Amino acid sequence: MSPTVLLVVEHLDGVPAPATLEAAGLGKALASPQGRLVVLAAGSSARKAAEALAAVGAGSARLAEEPAWDLCPPSALGSLVAATARAEGAEVVLIGGTCFGRDLLGGAAAAWEAAAAAGVTEASWEDGGLVVRRPVFGGRATETRRLEGGRAIVALRPHAFPPLDTTAASFEASPSPPSGAAPASTLRRTGFEPGASSAGPSLSDAAIVVSGGRGLRSPENFGLVEELAAALGAAVGASRAVTDAGWRPGTLQVGQTGKTVTPQLYVAVGISGAIQHLVGMVGSRVIVAINNDPSAPIFRVADYGIVGDLFEILPALTAEVRKARAG
Amino acid sequence: MEIVVAVKPVPEAEARLRASADGSGLETDGVKFVLAGYDESAIEQALLLKEAHPPSTVQVLSLGPAARCEEVLRAALALGCDRATLVEAAPSGPLADPMGVARGLAAALRGKKFDLLLVGKQAGDDEEGVVGSALAQLLGVGYAGFVTDLRFDAASGHFRFRRTVERGTELWEAPVPLLVGLQQAWNDPRTAKLPAILRSRKQPIERFDAASALEAAARSLGAAFALPAPRTGAKLLDYRSPQEAAEKLVRALREEAKVFP
Ligand SMILES: Cc1cc2nc3c(=O)[nH]c(=O)nc-3n(C[C@H](O)[C@H](O)[C@H](O)COP(=O)(O)OP(=O)(O)OC[C@H]3O[C@@H](n4cnc5c(N)ncnc54)[C@H](O)[C@@H]3O)c2cc1C
Ligand SMILES: Nc1ncnc2c1ncn2[C@@H]1O[C@H](COP(=O)(O)O)[C@@H](O)[C@H]1O
Repeated sequence: MSPTVLLVVEHLDGVPAPATLEAAGLGKALASPQGRLVVLAAGSSARKAAEALAAVGAGSARLAEEPAWDLCPPSALGSLVAATARAEGAEVVLIGGTCFGRDLLGGAAAAWEAAAAAGVTEASWEDGGLVVRRPVFGGRATETRRLEGGRAIVALRPHAFPPLDTTAASFEASPSPPSGAAPASTLRRTGFEPGASSAGPSLSDAAIVVSGGRGLRSPENFGLVEELAAALGAAVGASRAVTDAGWRPGTLQVGQTGKTVTPQLYVAVGISGAIQHLVGMVGSRVIVAINNDPSAPIFRVADYGIVGDLFEILPALTAEVRKARAG
Repeated sequence: MEIVVAVKPVPEAEARLRASADGSGLETDGVKFVLAGYDESAIEQALLLKEAHPPSTVQVLSLGPAARCEEVLRAALALGCDRATLVEAAPSGPLADPMGVARGLAAALRGKKFDLLLVGKQAGDDEEGVVGSALAQLLGVGYAGFVTDLRFDAASGHFRFRRTVERGTELWEAPVPLLVGLQQAWNDPRTAKLPAILRSRKQPIERFDAASALEAAARSLGAAFALPAPRTGAKLLDYRSPQEAAEKLVRALREEAKVFP
């Protein structure tokens, strides 16, 4: 097969987002052995972003370098993506499924008259068509979809694909059609507040989540969970017992009435595993439970369990993680 | 202000999920459908804006099989929405084409005047989050998703809102009409009172036939639906000291599970 795959680049001042590097890896696989991978970047530092991605074996880059792209909402890129996909004769458009990717996915698909799928964790060619798999119902089930009609636009679930290393190489860049076009949008960005939510990664997007429950016994002890999370570079979550008691804010709650998370690794500490908590985290790839009650339901969904007193285990684990990461 | 909220019927959270007989989709027989969680927030936000800016009306719109859409439309009427429209179509859900849904909703809204169109950030069942931005493109209105703290300034006719993304919070401004994918309303969703629930049973529901709008050459179609193999239970680590437990866990995460960074 020799398909053309168009990769939409998300970047901050020319540095590609991790989700874009993950999509680049898949793009390279879908374009091989005979196809083409083309990257599309917009904004005043589009060229720098495309250069960083040239190592993916992209034969060419399409650039929309007008500074107006810097401040427009992601949804305004839909028409640009569609026009570029048409001009390149692409079969597939790939985007990282971040807030950026998800805000432009549907609009690009509508403008390009393509089939769309989001939250994708696997993608491959089958009988000449693109087949994707994705978790649904908070990871309680998986669906397989066929994207028919020869035009597919896919947003990938963050962390589902390994990122591709990038080293600069030369490539051929051309302005993206329609040349010189500026984004059309009525939306105007008036400000930005960096990382307002918390210091670490946000709960919904984190690759690792460490959650604590009532077993911690007090708001002060909950700091043990935060220390482990910091050592792992993880986001902090909590059961409803913790948020209801006011030990930590409701924004940390995982479960039916809180957030649904699907990280690579979920560590549940002093959490019993009530069904309302489980529905928010069973989609995680690997689950670790630490609880002193061997009959706690959390052990039924966990991959690894430590039956023991969290007040002994957590400090040892935090120290071990620090050691392993330093070494 | 004229506000429209698109609401999707989804299986209730407690529903036991099963694959249909042919394995291609979710078995919906005997499953109770309710408003998607983010759609409840979208309705709450619409009602709050209506109360803050009289005279305003809130119209709800739902596409799918009649019975389950009527359920959620009546639930929305009971909460205080003014009008309900059913866009009749084959089952929507994890295995329906989200772009088909967007085209069907766009057909029902084309040529109608509105100031604000609200959708949920994503539906709890299929988690696509595709419909909002597709609908905006099809109707030619501005769009932003992941929106919180949505305010309307009547003097300038502009909305102001926040958009919470990975790196922080963006502040935005946009004139009417606007389409928003809502992450969070100002308040937790209200609950309906019994008299309103009883009244909603008798309120009329308008119908729109969108069958012709749904088909297209490029489609995303369900081919298989699988429940994950039930987890067999945790591998419990043997240890003599907390130190040993920690070492064994880090080794397993690194070497077996390959999730340790
Ligand atoms: C409608 C509804 C919605 C809900 N939504 C949610 C939701 O979104 N999220 C949510 O989490 N819950 C939710 N709940 C609540 C849920 O049912 C449970 O009550 C809650 O999850 C329990 O929290 P927990 O596991 O922290 O506490 P517990 O169930 O009290 O468990 C504490 C655990 O800590 C262990 N423990 C105690 N001491 C130690 C120690 N020293 N070392 C190790 N382990 C120890 C215990 O063995 C126990 O298993 C909801 C409930 C309802 C009715
Ligand atoms: N069948 C439908 N009828 C009405 N609105 C819908 C429908 N499907 C999706 N939506 C709207 O689009 C949002 C996102 O849904 P989804 O793209 O399916 O995740 C929902 O929260 C609804 O507001």
